[in-house]
Amino acid sequence: MKKLLIAMMILSLLAPACAFAQQEPVRIVFWHSATEDAGELMAGYIDTFNRTIGAEKGIQVEAVFQGSYSDSVSKMRSILSAGNLEELPDLMQLDATGKVAYQTAENAYTIDKAMADHPEADFSSFLAPAMDNWKLSGEQLGLPFATSTTVTYYNKSLIGQAPDTLSDIANLAGSVEVPEDGCIYACVPNTPTLANWIGQLGGYVVDRKNGSEGMATRLDCLEDGTLQAFLTEWKALYASGALKNVASSTDEFVAGKQLIMTSSSSSVNAMLEKIGGAFELGVAAYPRVSDEAQMGATVSGSCLVMFDQGDARKEAAWELLNYLTGADVQADFAAGTGYLPSSSDAAESAVWQDLIAGNPIFNVGYEQILSTPPAMCSVTVGPSADFYYAIQNDVSEMLDQDLSPEEAVELMEEDLGGLLDQYAKANG
Amino acid sequence: MRNRNGVRAIRPYLYVLPIILFAVGFVYYPFLKTFLYSFSTVNVKGEITGFAGLDNYAYLFGRREFQAALRNTLVLTAVNVPITLLIASFLASLCVKERPLSPVYETMFALPMAISMAAIALVFRVLLNPTVGFVNHALNLSIGWFEDRNTALFSIVLLTVWMGIGFNFLLFLSAFRAIPAQVIEAARLDGANAAQLLFRVRLPLAVPTVVYAAATNAILALMTNGPIMILTQGGPSRATVTLIYMMYTSGYNSSNYSLAACISICTFLLALCLTLLLLRLEKKKVSYE
Amino acid sequence: MKRSMRDALIQAFCLLLGLFVVFPLIYGALGAFKTPSEFSRVPPTVFPDSFRNFDNFRAVFEKAPMARYFLNSLITSTVSSLVRLVFAALAAYAFAFFEFPGKKPLFILVLGTMMLPAETITVTNYQTVSALRLTDHYLGIMIVSFVGASQMFMLRARFASTPRALREAAMLDGCSDLRFLLFVLLPVSRPVLVTLFLQSFIAQWNSYLWPLLVTNHDEMRTVQVGITMLTAPEATNYETILAGATVALIPALILFLVSRRKLSDSMSGGSLVG
Repeated sequence: MKKLLIAMMILSLLAPACAFAQQEPVRIVFWHSATEDAGELMAGYIDTFNRTIGAEKGIQVEAVFQGSYSDSVSKMRSILSAGNLEELPDLMQLDATGKVAYQTAENAYTIDKAMADHPEADFSSFLAPAMDNWKLSGEQLGLPFATSTTVTYYNKSLIGQAPDTLSDIANLAGSVEVPEDGCIYACVPNTPTLANWIGQLGGYVVDRKNGSEGMATRLDCLEDGTLQAFLTEWKALYASGALKNVASSTDEFVAGKQLIMTSSSSSVNAMLEKIGGAFELGVAAYPRVSDEAQMGATVSGSCLVMFDQGDARKEAAWELLNYLTGADVQADFAAGTGYLPSSSDAAESAVWQDLIAGNPIFNVGYEQILSTPPAMCSVTVGPSADFYYAIQNDVSEMLDQDLSPEEAVELMEEDLGGLLDQYAKANG
Repeated sequence: MRNRNGVRAIRPYLYVLPIILFAVGFVYYPFLKTFLYSFSTVNVKGEITGFAGLDNYAYLFGRREFQAALRNTLVLTAVNVPITLLIASFLASLCVKERPLSPVYETMFALPMAISMAAIALVFRVLLNPTVGFVNHALNLSIGWFEDRNTALFSIVLLTVWMGIGFNFLLFLSAFRAIPAQVIEAARLDGANAAQLLFRVRLPLAVPTVVYAAATNAILALMTNGPIMILTQGGPSRATVTLIYMMYTSGYNSSNYSLAACISICTFLLALCLTLLLLRLEKKKVSYE
Repeated sequence: MKRSMRDALIQAFCLLLGLFVVFPLIYGALGAFKTPSEFSRVPPTVFPDSFRNFDNFRAVFEKAPMARYFLNSLITSTVSSLVRLVFAALAAYAFAFFEFPGKKPLFILVLGTMMLPAETITVTNYQTVSALRLTDHYLGIMIVSFVGASQMFMLRARFASTPRALREAAMLDGCSDLRFLLFVLLPVSRPVLVTLFLQSFIAQWNSYLWPLLVTNHDEMRTVQVGITMLTAPEATNYETILAGATVALIPALILFLVSRRKLSDSMSGGSLVG
């Protein structure tokens, strides 16, 4: 701080001589994937930052929308594979599929490294499950920014009470009137949803605790039977007629044609707006796979990670990171979207407290994160995109081609196992 | 004098140097690299770490996603090519004779060739949206189009056919107009109706154009990727995964370069075989006449 | 009388078919004027309530640096088409007028590029461009499209059809090869050049995958990439999507309408290439 003061004094003395240099703030690049409501809020935060803290400290942020998380991660991966590290941004919004690639980046400026440079930093108020979600092999990679979890949205006007388990959903078939060309529930499981249901049964999708403690090399949910248990429940649900084997569609849900939808808690606000009072929206905890299962769902959403692009820019990225994960922005972002406050500081703020007092459905996700068993964590694998689609396709194929759960397990063992093997062979 | 001769000797090479340089650097070199990758283990940084023999191909052929991609690509090509040619040649046969309004409707038919894939894909996304789109409502249907696994590939074909109409229409129009009017007149006098005129007279007389159009469309169809990226991401449940889309996701999204390379080589071989096949057909057809 | 009746009927039928073909475009352009609530209306409509609603177009330009996207597309399409033509013309000249060892293999080498579809080599080309540090540069967007084998082929045929005597006369007058190419051959080949340029320009303007891969910064994106970034795949802001698509269509559309005759006339010479 003292050094900075002296430097500032010298600078101000030299000001007339180097007016040019002084006008030159530190420019940093921030890649984000925020669209619609979140996108507008994000633009506002960056604008505010540039006008206030940025102007004060000589930092100018260029925010770049990089498409979806997977587009953005692809971009990062390809830059890493070409070794053009300077093309990486200073700060990046990263989802779980990018963790492995980020950790391999030579200029990854992880939170652990940043904390060594900033011993005064205190992140103790951040929610433990949210923090843990961005840890890999014991290293804290990023700070939670857009924290969410998967919850159940349901058409309260038609269903009344939220389903607790998959068989509750199955029981709705026949007892509730389904709109024309509509369905009760539509879903095609993918990596995070499978991790939730396997996790509720006490299992892991892949070894090393879902890859959180090191590179996953095989499927873990085979021997303990959790995969088969889930597939059996899933097939029963389909057989009941309550499940439509397609990805759920917000359009259909909002139009009242789909009665239950499991989706990120982050769209509560958008959902309310689109429904516009046409029916009452209910939000409840993620359904349990069976009566024996524990409740809960893993943390989803995204974190912010930094890259080292030189000391001045590193410092600037740190400022922006702290601003975006600070209590004010977190509470505002949560209230404007349905994302959850990432820290207890943010959750205690008046903005958030007022919101959940007025509309408790915003709080469902937050409560769920706090009560989910800590062992349940998201899946981290190298071939993340292929893995995601393979799960979707295999589970969906089981229903389409009427395979038995045992056959589906074999199919997934071959398909998903093959992906892990190939990756390990080339990158082991 | 000697110097001048020297310059004269290398001059031709200077003229062809730029195109050769870029052909080697951005066509042959990447192709060779792709070829090598397909027989190697390649890490996420794109470095060859070992020789894999045919392992990559064996793994690829065993992957269900590849089987789906191959099937979808072949179906797409097999459906897209004849339909496009049929529509385009039909429209062209309507336009052969110049009429006062010809410029208007000819421009309309040719228009799709100027339309960017990205833009029209976005329009189709709305047009065929099952809930808010116009088509379902106008035809009183409840089809999921891009969202239903039984119709998604068909919807992609609909889009690619539309994109191909313009170019092929112009192609056929100029070919049909080059046919001497007496030939058509004679066929008419023999009592040929419009359909017979198209299938028995015009198309046979335009075999080179038909083959050219078939070949270009087939290759375009084999390379289908853009609409998939923008509209369906290969879904629902692999119903619209194509070879190039899978190549893109394996190579670019998953950094599995050896797998991407194998897909590239397979697609290339398919395109090559198809072209050779069509050329052979043309030779046969032409020599019979 | 019967004949003209038939003609009128055919024309009416063609117009109807033509409308059917361009309907998606009309639908897109009309939808760009709608408000979000008009999209959730049941039954869906084609015409907007008001043509004075420019909000969506405004949103497109506000949400993204659309003007910059246009500039990027314009620059990269123009320059890459020009470079492609220059390279093609130079090579065509050599192949048409010079005899030199290796002529045939080199000619085949150039034409052979047509057998290797660009899509199959995108991943490795991306690595090259990235290693050359050309991502986020205009050159990176353009560099893979400098080789126009079919353009070279067309021009060689055009050049070869000019009377040999013309070149010999020029040479006797002390004209160099380059001067002859620039000031005699290219001017007389103008129609072909214009057509080749237009085709190349439209193709470049509309290209999608490659510019998507090699651009990371907003201000380097082309229109086609930009409009797909206006929205997430699952987003439902249909009016903005359509406004973006409509805006992106306009330049190529205008160019097409202006040059339609030229394009279709040149087809009869068989010079239309991809």
